[in-house]
Amino acid sequence: MSGMVITRRRLLGMFGATAALSACGSSLGGGSSSDGGEQGAVKVGLVIPQAGVYAPLGVDMKRAWDLWLDRHGGKVGGFTVTTVVGDEGETPQTGVAAVQRLLQSDDCDVLVGIVSSATALGVRDLVTESKKLLLIANAGANDITGTAISPYLWRTSFTNGQVAAAMGRHLAEQGGTDGVFVIAPDYAAGAEASAGFQDAFTSGGGTIAGAVKPPFGTTQDYQPFLSQIRSSGAKATFCFFAGAEAVAFVKQYRQFGLADSVPLYGSGFLTEGGVLSAQGAAAVGIQTSLHYTSELDNEHNKEFVAAYQKAHDAVPTVYSVQTWDAAGVLDRALRSAKATDGDALSTALGKLGPIDDSPRGEWSFDGQTPKQKFYIREVEQKGDGFVNSVIAETDAVGQDG
Amino acid sequence: MAWLDANLVSVLNGVAIGCLLFILAIGLSLVFGMMDVLNLAHGAVFLVGAYAGWVVGGTDPSWGTFLLALAVALGIGLLVGGGMSLLTEPLRDRSHLDQALLTLGIALIVAELLSMAFGNDVQAADAPPGLDGTVSLFGNAYPTYRLALIGVGAVFAVGLWLLMSRTMIGSVIRATVADRDMVSAIGIAQHRVKLAVFGAGSALAAAAGVLGVPIYGARPGLDSTVLILALVVVVIGGLGSVRGALVGALVIGQIESLGRAVLADAASFLLFGALALVLVLRPRGLFAGAVR
Repeated sequence: MSGMVITRRRLLGMFGATAALSACGSSLGGGSSSDGGEQGAVKVGLVIPQAGVYAPLGVDMKRAWDLWLDRHGGKVGGFTVTTVVGDEGETPQTGVAAVQRLLQSDDCDVLVGIVSSATALGVRDLVTESKKLLLIANAGANDITGTAISPYLWRTSFTNGQVAAAMGRHLAEQGGTDGVFVIAPDYAAGAEASAGFQDAFTSGGGTIAGAVKPPFGTTQDYQPFLSQIRSSGAKATFCFFAGAEAVAFVKQYRQFGLADSVPLYGSGFLTEGGVLSAQGAAAVGIQTSLHYTSELDNEHNKEFVAAYQKAHDAVPTVYSVQTWDAAGVLDRALRSAKATDGDALSTALGKLGPIDDSPRGEWSFDGQTPKQKFYIREVEQKGDGFVNSVIAETDAVGQDG
Repeated sequence: MAWLDANLVSVLNGVAIGCLLFILAIGLSLVFGMMDVLNLAHGAVFLVGAYAGWVVGGTDPSWGTFLLALAVALGIGLLVGGGMSLLTEPLRDRSHLDQALLTLGIALIVAELLSMAFGNDVQAADAPPGLDGTVSLFGNAYPTYRLALIGVGAVFAVGLWLLMSRTMIGSVIRATVADRDMVSAIGIAQHRVKLAVFGAGSALAAAAGVLGVPIYGARPGLDSTVLILALVVVVIGGLGSVRGALVGALVIGQIESLGRAVLADAASFLLFGALALVLVLRPRGLFAGAVR
């Protein structure tokens, strides 16, 4: 008797499934005949910090990724996307483990994300051995696409040196070439930014009044360094800070009365996103270089900013745009490769022409990192809030700035 | 001359930072010295105070909201400290490791709750009106608020010194540091003394959080940063004494300020270098045993 029941159930189930399949088939058939690009599915591991000091960047990146999928019917390059989020945390201890999990237990085809350079360098061998594509949407260490290059690691963000060099060249061209003091925290990114700025600025005829490296992560009070800037007689200061350090430095630079007498310049992370609202009026007048600002006056950016604000009730940041563009280049690569393996995608990325629909303006891959324009931005008050307005832009530059 | 000017400012700044550290560390020192309880949640209480300062005081506080924030922080600190005292009561005869695990667990939970409530963004606020500008000092601009901190620190130090040396409460506290069992034997309930000192010490840490907002802001991770500073102050100054905590805090203030200005290249090593030096030369701290 029981055998009968199961058979009957199975029969019913099979009927149901067939009916559902045929219904799906006809609707899908109708859809694919119009765009002609049904490829299957791709599983994307989104590696972003969800806890720790970089968590606010993770929020911006997730929002941009969700928005891209939302506006493209949940598909990238014709492939239906399943997103698995991995928590990068703060350090390689958490970041490498998250990537390992996404590659091995979640079996992701492609990885997108990575905020920390140490994590990016830490997962290089792991990703290379598994022959999967990793699109880095933030980490800026020069080495990732330089001496430690791997065919499977591509970057849609920047290099630390490139961003700082843009400001160095700009200041040298402006003729403000005497006595700039350079301050950047004592770790890899700070050193790269400091070197990038100094190389570009001195080769443009500028002179450096002094340089100092405050301990990274343990400096809350910048008074000793601010005193040093003042006594050096510098005409201007260039700095590289991000996150909590950017807030503390900018506020104290104003509190100690330096903001009025010694203008402050920096890499754009100094005044980007959440830190700018914490700095508030203390940041007004600071000029920074970056490859994006929400104030950019181009059609793609206006559309992007409007959609982003509508979806998330927030202004997009450079971290959002880097992730948005990672989705954009993945879309193109999947479309031309028609496969999800790292080798095919890497080859396809190498053949991409200029990316002409990015909110940051047109850019292209130079090696495996963007060749892009930089904007010189100045912090201004706009309504109740503060924004980075564009005051100049530089020529497009690649890896070394 | 410019060198001298710059460093005079650093000395003064060291005093200001030292005053803030004193208000932060005195509670940790007394609780550890008196009751032998190692409270690793002290930094988390500071961060609670910092968020209270930012939420209640606002990013551009008036005197009203600033003082209200201070009162709220003192209240919360008192409650949290009292709660911690009760929680650590069953562990009083257990090892420091057990206490450290309990208080560290509380610290982690508090930090996570703060992060859930206020997000992971960095928050900052200005000083109250009249103190948010600069004054000219040795020809250099210096933030008025930090000068005011020196005054506040001095008031606290003198007040605590009077409390400890001239009042009945003070002599009970000092006696408890010196010999707990003897204090019990003369009929004073130890757990009440502990409750009071724990509550007052935590209230001061939370107040330090409010006072610190215009300098340090409020953000995830600040709790462990200030906890380490407070522990170094206590180790350098010696346990259980107001004078030790004050001297320890002023020494750390100078190391973090003047030390970093003069020896900028060695800035990362100065703090723990000084700690190691004190541990080698005076293992029990500069003022161990002196209970004043």
